[in-house]
Amino acid sequence: MVGPIASLSQLNRADGSASYKCPATGYSILGAVNAPIELPARRDALKPEEATVEVFVKPGTTTAGVGERYAEGILRSALGKIVLGREKGFPRRGLVITLTIVGGENVERGDSYLTILPALLHAALLAMVSASVPLSMTFSATLLGVTKSGDIVRDPSPTAAKAAVSLHAFAFSSKNHLLLNESVGRFEFDTWELVRERALSICQGATTSTDGDVTMGEGTASASLNGFIRETVEDQIYSDYAYKLDSI
Amino acid sequence: MRPARAKWPKKESISDPRAGAVRPPSTMSKEAQLSIAERDFILEALREDLRLDGRQHDDYRPLDISFGEEYGHVKLQLGKTHIIVRISAEVTKPREDRPFDGLFNINLELSAMGSPAWENGRTNDIEAYATNTLDRIIRHSNALDTESLCILKGVSCWAIRADVHIVDYDGNITDAACIAIMAGLQHFRRPDAVVRDGRVIVYGVEQRVPVALNITHKPLSVTFNTFNDSKHVIVDATLKEEQAAEGDLVIGINSAGDICYLSKYAGAPADAMAIVNKTNVAWEKVKEINAAVDKVLQADLAKRAKIGMADESRAENDRLIQIE
Repeated sequence: MVGPIASLSQLNRADGSASYKCPATGYSILGAVNAPIELPARRDALKPEEATVEVFVKPGTTTAGVGERYAEGILRSALGKIVLGREKGFPRRGLVITLTIVGGENVERGDSYLTILPALLHAALLAMVSASVPLSMTFSATLLGVTKSGDIVRDPSPTAAKAAVSLHAFAFSSKNHLLLNESVGRFEFDTWELVRERALSICQGATTSTDGDVTMGEGTASASLNGFIRETVEDQIYSDYAYKLDSI
Repeated sequence: MRPARAKWPKKESISDPRAGAVRPPSTMSKEAQLSIAERDFILEALREDLRLDGRQHDDYRPLDISFGEEYGHVKLQLGKTHIIVRISAEVTKPREDRPFDGLFNINLELSAMGSPAWENGRTNDIEAYATNTLDRIIRHSNALDTESLCILKGVSCWAIRADVHIVDYDGNITDAACIAIMAGLQHFRRPDAVVRDGRVIVYGVEQRVPVALNITHKPLSVTFNTFNDSKHVIVDATLKEEQAAEGDLVIGINSAGDICYLSKYAGAPADAMAIVNKTNVAWEKVKEINAAVDKVLQADLAKRAKIGMADESRAENDRLIQIE
């Protein structure tokens, strides 16, 4: 299976930016973060002691609609939990995350937005890291589909996702907290538990499960999504500090 | 000693249609203003025929165009201005008053990605102005033949949509967007559709070779900015140069030299001779850019032809059911 491709800080104007491409689902996301940024006075009344997290999802070939607003809501609550909005300089300021879907099929009106959620989450996280937003932890997300025959498929393509009985999007923090759990379709608790374990092993690369065949094929820890996020950031830091390395 | 601030654009004295109107104080964040020193530096340098990045007056920044995996997905970089254009097509009903015409729309929405000064989900002056200019140059000049988009009179037609994403903003978005849209339209392939017994059948990309759009001519916009009482006129200004400029002039012209748009929207009055001279410059530039776009386009299409439909035409693939 081809892993995702990501790179950090490509844009000049935004404070932080990242691009993320998932070859399995075909989605390519460009994320930009501006933080801390001055917000018009009307908005800071809600929580003056914290930063306001704003997420904007911009589809590639249509105008944003209800589906995007729904996805923005999910992203805002998930990302809001890991941002340290009380750090110096952040209270009463805004954290504006803009995510543009630059490649892949559009999510059709009325279709589930879950399929693109992991890609959006990763792009947002990497862009926040690039913008040096204080975070309590990082996370990784994955999408799993359950087929008619009960097989669990990782990162189903848009057509496979349409045929799936149920879809599950999970996000696990670097400390193994379950950050996000969104599901659509019909499924039982047992199925969900299986899917959750599989998702955890994909994200963490951990072999915590007693059920051997679930964790097989995911490979070593570096093949995990958390490892991927870490490596991407490490690569960026390595190139950013190349001048220091050369002078040693 | 140089005359201090003598060349400061006199906002009140010029017939700026926007300057006279009292506008409500906007809560919108603004692009950081140019400092007086920076402005003076740019103007002074121009007097010595120099630009900040060492270009000549009639030089564009380096132009880099690449295409994505899908048809009509253009990534364009003009200096530090970075634009992504995606062209898409869908079947809709034509307008009542124009049953023979398909639809074509250009959609430009500024987001905080391009510049922190732009707020998400809110329109601003730049957006309205750029959309209008692009509409006038590409749409109203009929660069895309909308009649060829008709499938069945009054019943169904193609709606072509160009989405412009300003990903990085460093001035001159109209020219960059114009080049990207025209490149996208030439690169795009729509699915083939036929009418059989009064029914419209749209063939998937796997079933029939998709069709190129019918482009009648290739107009591009060339934006000039004037400085020092229109003594210095430069092409393709960066954001800083735009901020220091006293006025702008947009010329929409195609490779044959037909002018399809000319606008002196705001700012200080420009010299009439400058406009005449710069029209010739614009023509040269459009020919140059169109040739560059053509080269990239041919290279990409040749690459696609080489790969061909190898993946799609494998025997082990699922048989697709006809979509109607």
